[in-house]
Amino acid sequence: MARKDGMVDESMLHGPSPKWRGGLPVLVLAASMAACDAGPTERPVPDVAFCQEVLPAVEAYVAQARTANPVPEDPRYGGTAVLGSIGELADGMNGAVSSAYSATQHQQFVNRMTLIDSDANLEPRPYLAERFEVAEDNTSVTFHLRRDVYWHDGEQTTAEDVAFTYETVTNPLTAFPNAAFWDRYVQGPEGVEVIDDFTVRIRMEPHAEFLDPFRSLGILPEHLLGDVPPQDLKQHPFGTQCPVGNGPFVFYSHAAQDRWVFEANPAFPEALGGRPFLDRYIYRVIPEQTTLLTELLTQNIDVYSGVAPDQAQRILDDPNSELIDFPARQYVFVGWNARRPQLEDPRVRRAIAMGTDRESIVEAILQGYGTVAHSSVPPFHWAFDEGRIQPIDYDPEGAAALLDEAGWTDRDGDGVRENAEGVPLSISVKYNQGNQQRQDIAEIMQFQLADIGVDVQPQVVEWATLLQDINTPDLRNFDGVVMGWVVEFKLDDMDLFHSDRIDQPFAWSGTRNPEIDRLLVELGTAVDRAVARELWAEYQNVVIEEQPYLFFYFPSRLVGVSSRMENVTMDQRGVWLNVKDWYIDPAAR
Amino acid sequence: MTQFVVRRLLGAVPLVLGIATIIFFLVNLAPGDPTLLLLSPGVTDEVIQQMRENFGLDQPVHIRYVKWVGAMLTGDFGYSFSHSRPVVDVLLDFLPNTLILSASALVVAFLFGIVLGTIQAVRQYSALDSSLSVVLLFFYSMPSFWLALMLILTMSLYARNVWGLPIYFPASGMTSTEYEFLSAAGRIADRVRHLVLPTLSLALVLMAGIARYMRGSMLEVVRQDFVRTAHAKGLPERTVVFKHALRNALLPIITLVGLYIPFLFSGTVFIETIFAWPGMGRLIVEAIFQRDYPVVMAGAFFFATMVVVANLVADLLYAVVDPRIRYE
Repeated sequence: MARKDGMVDESMLHGPSPKWRGGLPVLVLAASMAACDAGPTERPVPDVAFCQEVLPAVEAYVAQARTANPVPEDPRYGGTAVLGSIGELADGMNGAVSSAYSATQHQQFVNRMTLIDSDANLEPRPYLAERFEVAEDNTSVTFHLRRDVYWHDGEQTTAEDVAFTYETVTNPLTAFPNAAFWDRYVQGPEGVEVIDDFTVRIRMEPHAEFLDPFRSLGILPEHLLGDVPPQDLKQHPFGTQCPVGNGPFVFYSHAAQDRWVFEANPAFPEALGGRPFLDRYIYRVIPEQTTLLTELLTQNIDVYSGVAPDQAQRILDDPNSELIDFPARQYVFVGWNARRPQLEDPRVRRAIAMGTDRESIVEAILQGYGTVAHSSVPPFHWAFDEGRIQPIDYDPEGAAALLDEAGWTDRDGDGVRENAEGVPLSISVKYNQGNQQRQDIAEIMQFQLADIGVDVQPQVVEWATLLQDINTPDLRNFDGVVMGWVVEFKLDDMDLFHSDRIDQPFAWSGTRNPEIDRLLVELGTAVDRAVARELWAEYQNVVIEEQPYLFFYFPSRLVGVSSRMENVTMDQRGVWLNVKDWYIDPAAR
Repeated sequence: MTQFVVRRLLGAVPLVLGIATIIFFLVNLAPGDPTLLLLSPGVTDEVIQQMRENFGLDQPVHIRYVKWVGAMLTGDFGYSFSHSRPVVDVLLDFLPNTLILSASALVVAFLFGIVLGTIQAVRQYSALDSSLSVVLLFFYSMPSFWLALMLILTMSLYARNVWGLPIYFPASGMTSTEYEFLSAAGRIADRVRHLVLPTLSLALVLMAGIARYMRGSMLEVVRQDFVRTAHAKGLPERTVVFKHALRNALLPIITLVGLYIPFLFSGTVFIETIFAWPGMGRLIVEAIFQRDYPVVMAGAFFFATMVVVANLVADLLYAVVDPRIRYE
C-alpha cells in the first residue's frame, strides 16, 4: 500500500535553474557542483516558507547541542549506516496521516518518540513517558513525561504536545489511518486533560490492550503544527520536506524516491542511551530487489530490508553478510465474497480449505520463511495457542464429500461441479499485478482445486482498480481475492467480520455469524489477558468453521545485514527497533 | 522561414490541447481513485468525502476538465496528491536527474554509433564490418533491462566480489552517500561512476541502431559522384571520408536526433527502476499507481509538448545543415 512522497533533491536544484538546459552532462554536472559548495554540515533548506523558518532553528540547535554534548570517547561512535528498501517512506514523518510500515517505524524509532515502547514480550515499557498509571477502574491512563526531551529546534516536549497529538489523531477530519485505535477512547479535546506541563491524562472506557496505540503513535510538535487545520495536515511540508522530531535522529535531508538522511541527535537523553552510535543513518529507496541484493553484497548498503525469500540463500552464502528473519506483523489470505451464490454456503468454503494444500504452497512460495495461518492471530502474539485451535487440514477426499453433501456435484460431466440450479462452482480469484507470491497462490489453488471439481480462475488486476473492486460496498466485484493484512499488536477484527460493519469497505466476506459478533464485542472489552486468551481460542475456532477467509500464511520479514554492523536487533517490533544502538565495527568503517 | 515557424507553432497549439484533453479523460476515467488508497478501517465516509473535496475530486469530470485547462494555461498544474507539493516543483526536481542520464546516454550512443557506422561503411564487407555487425545486432536485440541486469552482475557484483578488480561501479543511485563530504573533483568522479552503468544500458541499445543507420547512410553517400570526384582528384582517403562523405551522410542522422529529444525528458522506467535513478519515468509510473492525477497529466502533457517541439526542431535543423532545403 506504499504511497510515495517527494522533496527537493537539494544537490540538484540549488544552482541557477537554467543551467541544466545546457543538456550536456558536463554542464549539468557543473551546475550541480556549484550547488554544493556550501559544504556538508549545513542542511539544505527547501524553498517553502515553513521549512525556511524551522530548519535554521534545527541547524542552530544541533550545533549548540554538539558543543554541549561532545561525542564520548568510545570507538563505537561514528560512521554512516545505509539501509536500502524498495519503497518511499510514504507521507514521511507525518504521523497524523501515514500508515505504511517503514514510515511509521521511522516515526517511532528514528525521528520521533512514542509515549511508551514495548519489551520483547510486548509488555508496555516507559519511553517518552517515564512512568504511567492506569486508573483502578480502567477509565483513564495518566502519562508522566520525561523532562529532558527536546524537539530538534530546541523547544521542550511537553504535555501540550501529547494533548495536541491526541486531539489531532482522534479528529475525524485528520483521517488518521488507524482510527480503530480510538474506538473506545473518549475522542477529541474531552478525552485528554493536561494536568501540568509534564502530566497528561487520557480517558477511555475499559477495553483490551488500550496502551497499544501509544506504542506506535509518535508525538507531534504542537508549537509547529498547532495552527494547521487537521484536513490540511496531509499536504503539510512537515511530513516530507522538513520534519522536526524529538527522537534519537535529527532529519537532515530528503530527496524524493532517492534517500532520507538523518544525523545523530547529540542531546538525546542519557537515560535512554544518549546520542546514537552512528553519526548518520541513511534510508535509500532502491525499487528493484536484484539491485538491492547487489548493493548489499558489494557493501554499498549495510542493511537490505525486505529480502525476497528466493534471495535468502545468496545472503547466507555471502561471508560478509548475515540474514535476520523474524515474524512480520501481517498475514496473507484469500478473502471470499460470500454474497456470491457459489460461496454463500460455509461448507463450500470449508471444502475449498480442505482441498488446498497450504503447507506445501507456503513451503514452496516462502522457502520456509513463514508459517501457515489458520486465523488472524500471529504466532508471536500472546493470544496464540496452537493447542487450542482445530485447524482444517489438507483432505481432498473429505472436501469432495463435503461438496457432495452441500449439493454441488458434477451434473454434466465437464469436471466442474454444479448446484441444483445449474450454477457451476466456478470462482475467480483476483490478485494485484506485480505480486508474484499472490499470483502463485491463485495459480496453485487453480491446479489443486481442479481435482475436487472446483474451477478457479486467477485474475490479475492493477492495485488501485482492485481496491475499488473489493472496497466499494455496492460493487464488491470479486469472488475471491488474495490479499495481505497488516496487524498491530492489538488485534481487532471488528472491521473485517462483525456484521454491523457489513456495509463498510473492509467487510469483504460479507458473512454474518452471531457467534463471531458476540466474541468480537467481548474481545474488545477484555482488559485481562488471561480472560482474553480464552476468548481468542474460542473466536479462532468459530472463524475457522465459518471460513470468511482462507488464511494462508504469516510471512517472516527477511533482512540482510552487512557483517560490519554490530548490535543490530530486529523482531516483530520492527526493523528499526534499536537503530540508535547500531554501531559499525571500527575496524571496518 | 519565420513564417514557417509561426505557422507550425500555431498548428501545434490545437494539437497539444487535443492531446491534453485525451490525457485528461483517459486518466480521470480510469478505475480507481486516490482516496481509495488511503482508506483504512475506521475512516468514515465523511472523512473520505472530505479528502475527495481536498483533492478537488468531488466535482463532475467536465467541471474538473474546464478548471484544469484554465489553470494549465496560466502555468498552474495543481498539487500532487502523493508528494504533497505543487506539481511543477515535483517535475523540476526529477527533470534534471533524467536529463543527466539521457543526455549522457545520447552523447555516448551518437558518438560511438556514428564512429562505428562510419568505420563499417568505409570497410564494407571486411571482417571488421561483419564482426561489428554481429556485435551491434546483438546489442540491438537485447532488451535494455536485461542488459542492465547483466551489467550490474558483471561490472558491479562480479568485478568487485569475484574477480576482485580495482574498478567496479555502483549498482544504484546518482551519488554515493558520502557525496556531501567529497571535494569538487571527488563529486564529479562520484557522479560519473554512478552514471556509467545506467548510461551504458541505455546507450548500447541506442548506439547499435544509430550505427546501422549511419552505415547505410554513409554507403549511399560514398557511391555518389562528388565522392568519386574527390577520389579522382587525388584527395587523401581521410579527407574524402571526413570532409566530403561524412558531412552529407550525417543528414538523416539529424532526424534521429530530433526523434530522440523527447526521450531526453521522458526517461525510461526500466532503467530508472533498476538503477534506483529518481527520474521522470519512475515519477510518472509511480504517479499512475498512486492515481496522482495532477502529476500524471502534467507529465504526459509535458512529454506531448516535447514531441511536437522536437519535430519542429528537426525540421528546422534540416534547413540549417542542407542549404537545398528551404521552407517558404
